[in-house]
Amino acid sequence: MGMKGGGFQKSSKASEEIPASSLADIAFLLLIFFMVTTVFQADRDRPIEWPQAEAAQKIDEKQKNIMNIWMEREGTVYLNDQPHTMEEITAVVAPLYAASERALVISIRGDQDVPYQYMDQLQTALVNAGVVRVVFATTLEQSMQRARR
Amino acid sequence: MAVLGKKKKRVSDGVPMSSTADIAFLLLIFFLVTTTFPKDKGLSIVLPEPGEEAQVSQKNILHLLIQPNGTVEVKRGESQQVQTMRPSEVEGLWRQEVANNPNLIAAVKTHPDASYKYMVDVLDALKSANAERISLQVLED
Repeated sequence: MGMKGGGFQKSSKASEEIPASSLADIAFLLLIFFMVTTVFQADRDRPIEWPQAEAAQKIDEKQKNIMNIWMEREGTVYLNDQPHTMEEITAVVAPLYAASERALVISIRGDQDVPYQYMDQLQTALVNAGVVRVVFATTLEQSMQRARR
Repeated sequence: MAVLGKKKKRVSDGVPMSSTADIAFLLLIFFLVTTTFPKDKGLSIVLPEPGEEAQVSQKNILHLLIQPNGTVEVKRGESQQVQTMRPSEVEGLWRQEVANNPNLIAAVKTHPDASYKYMVDVLDALKSANAERISLQVLED
């Protein structure tokens, strides 16, 4: 016969190449997926001056298990964008803490110039709410700045 | 001249779509790389359970009394001797003291009118010295 390929013809008409026309769809799908699943923090930042610490470590907990309590210079406490009095804190935090199965970490974001008596009241309120894990949120201090102190 | 005119018409008048994927991937990778999730930093501490009071021998306590001006008064256990220092000096002090007594507890007592940052400074110094047993209190006269 002398036919090329031993008499066999290519049976498949499918292209050997990866279909490139769907790449755009895949890319946009990924883009939309990440846009939808990205969660931004729930509460807005309060205007505070952060204290600095050299030994500050990253909070080893999932974002959803971290609750921020803000304390401004005059001692006003903000929780989820709402101002609260000291007396309310225990009542507000306790059910949230129980709902999280005691996994909640409280991040205390206090202004560096707040008098300590308010911090102490806040800590007492948190102890009464049964909270165990607390982090004093700070910014990282460089060693050079510290040497000047 | 007629031939030249025909050649010009070969340019496609549609926007090239084949590069859309590249553009989309480029955007995707750009945002993946530039997105930084704000990871909170801070000094962690474990609060006592409500009603939990531990009895500790006075000789195992190092009192650090933070004054409104930011100085730290150090008292060891029962002795009335007071040593005044800056918060940054607490780190060295703790390393010395804990070498002598591994059961030592740091009792940080802050004056009600002292700024929060002084307490953070002392806590920072203790954490830098790997102190684990820290108690935070307010200073009562």
